[in-house]
Amino acid sequence: MSARAPLAPDRVDARVNLGGIALRNPVLTASGTFGYGTEFAPFLDLRRLGGIVSKSLTVAPRTGNLPARIAETASGMLNAIGLENVGVEAFVREKLPALHPDVVVVASVFGTEMEHYAQVCARLEGEPRVAGFEINASCPHVKSGGIEFGQRADVLAELVRTVRRAARKPLLVKLSPNVTSIAEMARVCEGEGADGLSLVNTLQALDVDVETRRPLLRNVLGGLSGPAIRPVALRMVFQASHAVKIPICGIGGIETAEDAIKFLLCGATAVQVGTANYRNPAVAGEIADGIRAHAARHGFARVADLVGALEVPGV
Amino acid sequence: MSARPAEAAPPIRTRGIVRENRPEGSYWRLTLSVADFTRFAPGQFVMLSPGAELAAPRTDPLLPRPMAVYRARAAEGAGCEVEVLYKVTGRGTALLSSARPPEAVAVVGPLGRGFPLPPPGTRGLVVGGGTGIASLYELAARASARGDVRVLLGARSARDLEIARDFAALPLRLRLATEDGSRGRTGLVTELLAEELATSDPLLVYACGPTPMMRRAAEMAAAAGQGCLVSLENPMACGFGVCLGCAAPLREGGFALVCRDGPVFEAARVEWENLA
Repeated sequence: MSARAPLAPDRVDARVNLGGIALRNPVLTASGTFGYGTEFAPFLDLRRLGGIVSKSLTVAPRTGNLPARIAETASGMLNAIGLENVGVEAFVREKLPALHPDVVVVASVFGTEMEHYAQVCARLEGEPRVAGFEINASCPHVKSGGIEFGQRADVLAELVRTVRRAARKPLLVKLSPNVTSIAEMARVCEGEGADGLSLVNTLQALDVDVETRRPLLRNVLGGLSGPAIRPVALRMVFQASHAVKIPICGIGGIETAEDAIKFLLCGATAVQVGTANYRNPAVAGEIADGIRAHAARHGFARVADLVGALEVPGV
Repeated sequence: MSARPAEAAPPIRTRGIVRENRPEGSYWRLTLSVADFTRFAPGQFVMLSPGAELAAPRTDPLLPRPMAVYRARAAEGAGCEVEVLYKVTGRGTALLSSARPPEAVAVVGPLGRGFPLPPPGTRGLVVGGGTGIASLYELAARASARGDVRVLLGARSARDLEIARDFAALPLRLRLATEDGSRGRTGLVTELLAEELATSDPLLVYACGPTPMMRRAAEMAAAAGQGCLVSLENPMACGFGVCLGCAAPLREGGFALVCRDGPVFEAARVEWENLA
């Protein structure tokens, strides 16, 4: 380990740039775990965060799946919510104006057809409060859409191409981990003009109640999140960051500043906190503060200098 | 009728100091002192993270547990003493039962929309079954302080009804039923409800318990032309409206969130068939 002299935390520059989205620090909140931001106002000043990623937005509102929608698993949880959301119009009319102007908002976008993704982006393109888009190409629990886009390289390429034509704002693509080669999917997105990547979405999973002999979720399959998936996510961020030049936002079971630092070291420019928001609604702010403190303790004047700073001993 | 509590305070995340945590019949009674809490509405709940706070980050069990506030009273000095009644049914509650004074546990609350008190001139008919009784004490206490209240509690056996003594100390009429006949009437609490509904007096039925019990109570109240509120229980990860895990289907279509829109609902709105 190369030693550096410690700094005072206020001397650390925590700003990062995620594919054209300027963030005051590298901590965002993950889509689907943070509502539309306003739900967290009693617990956390959202201006302490790098930004928030909205619930995935569709052209029309969606009501979601029948219960049971969630289940706890070992160090994780399963969900099959069904992409319930208020729709892009209500997001613009009601949700965006309720957020402080200094909160950076990334709009997560979803559709059951490629054109629907483009329509949502086109609707948000003129909204100055939207800093960029995150294409949800990977939700594993919706029977139509989602999984197909993120799991096949040719389909993913066409999706990114379609959305890119409608989106001038910075465009992130959120990748599915349910693929053979994350590096290939990362390269496909870069090749079609994505400005950055978010990874990983939830791992497709299943759990069962042996007493009733039924799946725990009504939808049978769900997405696994939480600390259980963290080493898998970290591996994928590491592989993707070696495959592309565009910046990566690391996601998967981040609970502490140390967890977030691991993602930075493995090549993530920023991170998203997801499931941890449920147990501690103030945790994303604590992680942002903790990253700054860690950088100071290790003598990094810029948090951005931690990105990809993993030291791999020679063999 | 709105189920909006008249005195809801915004939720906070804070620590509760364990004052007492002991078995009582088939339940455990946990008393937390929470310096930052000011007030609760009857029927509101908290999310408790089992396991000592500030210990090494615990990831299993991962999620906090929703717990009805059984009783809340102003503490000496500042804040609230919050009592929670629970049964040890899994890993989370087993861990919770190991908490000893003066450990701290993480608490988020107060959460949800609780019970409105009965309107003047209307008798409150409070019907509790099993662990659902834990949601009803504050309602019974506050409603009986200003009007006519009857409480009907049912459970499997006498061991499940030791907490009835708290209700017996209130100025209300209390009736009990057990399935094994070890205390009160032998049978289901809904049989007591049938007798209480045989009146032309205006009533408001409040029900909390197993889903079949609440559904039956709702049907009986509707048949008698009386109002009925139920407090639903659903798995939830957050408690404040973001995980969307606790969605309950509504007869009018779509879903309501038990944590944010409830847990108290007008019974007529609930689509019982597809409740998780």
